Amino acid sequence: MTDTMVELADRRDFVASRRRALAVDLSMALATILAALAVGFIVILAVGHDPLEAYRAMLTGPLQRSTRVGRWLEDATTLTLLGLSVAIPFRARQISLGAEGQLYAGALAAAVVAIFVPLPPVLAVLVPLLVAAVAGGAVGAIPGVLKARLAANEIVATLMLNAIVVRLYDYLLNNQLKQPDSGSVRSANVPAGSALTRLQDWFGVPLGRANLGLLLMLLTALALWLLITRTTLGYRIRMVGSNPDFARYGGIKVPRVIESSFIIGGAVAGLAGAHLLLGVYGRLEPGMAGGLAFEGIVVALLARNNPLVVVAAGFLYSYLRVGGDIMEQQTDVGTEIVVIIQAVIVLLVTARLLPDLLKRRLARKQMAR
Amino acid sequence: MRQQSDGDPPAVEAVALTKTYPNGVRAVRAVDLCVAVGEIRAVVGENGAGKSTLMKLLYGLEQPSSGQLRIGGAAQTLSDPSAAIALGVGMVHQNLMLVPSFTIAQNVVLGIEPGRGLRLDTKIAIERTARLSEESGLVVDPKARVDEVSVGMRQRAEILKALYRGARLLILDEPTAVLTPQETDDLFASVRRLRAGGMTVLFISHKLKEVQEVSDRVSVMRAGSLVGTVDTDQSTAESLAAMMVGRQISLTVVKPPARPGRITLSVRNVGYQPRGAGQALHDITFNVAAGEIVGLAGVEGNGQTELTEILAGLRQPTSGTIRVDGTQTVRLDVAGYRAAGIAHVSEDRLFNGVALDESIADNLIVDRHARSPIGARGVLRPRAIRAHAERLIREYAIRAPDPSAPVGALSGGNMQKVVVARELSSGPRLLVAAQLTRGVDIGAMHFMYERLIAARDDGAAVFLVSADLAELLSLADRLLVIKDGRLVARFDDLTGVSDTEVGRFMLGVQRHTDEQIRAVPPEPESATS
Repeated sequence: MTDTMVELADRRDFVASRRRALAVDLSMALATILAALAVGFIVILAVGHDPLEAYRAMLTGPLQRSTRVGRWLEDATTLTLLGLSVAIPFRARQISLGAEGQLYAGALAAAVVAIFVPLPPVLAVLVPLLVAAVAGGAVGAIPGVLKARLAANEIVATLMLNAIVVRLYDYLLNNQLKQPDSGSVRSANVPAGSALTRLQDWFGVPLGRANLGLLLMLLTALALWLLITRTTLGYRIRMVGSNPDFARYGGIKVPRVIESSFIIGGAVAGLAGAHLLLGVYGRLEPGMAGGLAFEGIVVALLARNNPLVVVAAGFLYSYLRVGGDIMEQQTDVGTEIVVIIQAVIVLLVTARLLPDLLKRRLARKQMAR
Repeated sequence: MRQQSDGDPPAVEAVALTKTYPNGVRAVRAVDLCVAVGEIRAVVGENGAGKSTLMKLLYGLEQPSSGQLRIGGAAQTLSDPSAAIALGVGMVHQNLMLVPSFTIAQNVVLGIEPGRGLRLDTKIAIERTARLSEESGLVVDPKARVDEVSVGMRQRAEILKALYRGARLLILDEPTAVLTPQETDDLFASVRRLRAGGMTVLFISHKLKEVQEVSDRVSVMRAGSLVGTVDTDQSTAESLAAMMVGRQISLTVVKPPARPGRITLSVRNVGYQPRGAGQALHDITFNVAAGEIVGLAGVEGNGQTELTEILAGLRQPTSGTIRVDGTQTVRLDVAGYRAAGIAHVSEDRLFNGVALDESIADNLIVDRHARSPIGARGVLRPRAIRAHAERLIREYAIRAPDPSAPVGALSGGNMQKVVVARELSSGPRLLVAAQLTRGVDIGAMHFMYERLIAARDDGAAVFLVSADLAELLSLADRLLVIKDGRLVARFDDLTGVSDTEVGRFMLGVQRHTDEQIRAVPPEPESATS
């Protein structure tokens, strides 16, 4: 075949087939989730519990009370920020697993500024946020530079750096930053002027700890989407991710782009830390992030690293998380089921990448012929 | 050609042979092919016309979806190549498949070694290889290690390997792609000698000149179908090309004489030591003037890749100076090279010429995404990007429904048009073009030639590297030859220069003196007169 399908298509057909592809993508995503739920259903049945009751609790629970909605929003904010933080390096084909360390670095830096530096209103919120982003970006820069200039493996570098930063965080929290009069390990509260306003203060319904960070997250996602699609740096990130040799050939400074992607990702993870500190806990606590840092990777994968889709995926994913907690409280089915459902989603999403890769290889082979 | 007597079955016959791949691509459609014993049959066609797939079916590498295959008169099902070998079918692939660390004799007998038990009788292996070599006229050194001999000898060893296995039907898949003109002539002489001994040869090629030289009959494939078979002496290159493409096409390159201006590229004593694999360069000195095309010929792997990449800024030379319009370029980065007006068509577009998953529009702006009108102060202008892409798609006849289509969905020739459109539309002072038409259809090939000459006439200095000597001789105004990382010849006037003459320099049989190679370039006046 001399002509490929695309070359023979006319523009209307092409645009139509693009739309169809989008519809197929969306229905595939939906099918993925339904399949995962079906697997969970069977597992619950197999262990002798009532899957209908469990699923009712999980799927309707988060919307039943406004405080639960608040929990969902709060969780989705952190999760989406973490998803965004890895989506950017992923776009440059850098497997960054450093969100955890970057998050703690951001929280730590923001806490030090918020607690020890007296600031006027508004600045009291903005400066800690900015400092968190800078700290997260700085921690991101380390593996970025190691990878870009010295060809160090970024997976190893980010994981090792996580270990270092988290230990450092624990050390400081247990010593210098520990609230002396408290029995438990925690820092002093950040002053009220630095806290992110709780949403319930605005809406007048109890929304738990959901806060202004939600808006911050949405703005960040929009900004990152604009960065990727509408800026020269975003273009470079996309080209480096798609074919680094092509980028270099075209005059793009590949090492600098790789570093930038790590720094931007780190800054966003730092913001996630600031959100936990200034919006959710109001102080530093050990293990603040839980396992969220790594769930962010799943969210980014689900969304194929598109910043706007990451928001949708983040909301969806944390809905399942919150629903799972409710299910555990209300029925005798544990949150493990949610872990299983999530794992099946991850498997299906990664498995969907396989046919894509195959298709591309076939295309290449055909061209080589 | 030995005339086939009545009742003598054909060596190979395909009846309505069809191959449909699982993804729905019908690579071979109802092909009827009948090749008589002792015939040299050429199979020609554009890229993707189905030539290679057809050969794979004959060699058992692929199985037909429908249709019948008869070898020596009897219907056969070839489940794998060993079944084909048992029936006397031998195939020499485009990419040679030999064990590099073994000697030629060891490779020839590999799998059916003479000797007892596990012991290989090296002496007998060498003897038999030498005898086969003598009989067939395929000259090899049986004791030489494969990785130490020329590509031509490796290919001969590969043919001997097939002969050793009793091949009576030999399939040669683009055998001349890697050979110099002399080696090609030698190969053809051996092929004719094999035919005299009753061998049937299927010869795949897209070089029509060679096909006309060696074959008895030619079968033409287009889009998976066999569109016709003609006697070679009844055909012309034009008639074959028309059959391949499906319309009349001109094969001659119309090129007005060059009017070289001042020196644009000046390369002085450039040396290069590769880190790891690669060819070193020694003391390379030459000029390219504005408005001329300087070709670089050589057997592949003699330093063309290294020199090209140095000129494009992708590698740093170890010594020497390079100036482009007086700007010293050696210490610049790639962006600096591009800013200096150097465009580059790289030799392997899939490696670094395009980003397959990205859109045509994005692929067209990689060198100018941060410059007006595409981007300014860090912000891209989507409308300008689209308009830019629409314009180049129109001007360079890129076949695509929309600028947002991914480049990876395009065919090879069309993809190369994207690369050429990008590089030429930058209005370069110097264009470094490597393998401009590799894997490009005849139709698109002509288009590239015209564009290249137009760029030259607009005042660009063009440095053209190609593995296709005929292409160089028809496009270049001047020609350099590289061997083992050194320039060994320079032709300032190509009128009357034959490919065999250039081939002698490529092989190192002959060499110009350094004075000739480094002589002051001809004055613009004398060149135009």
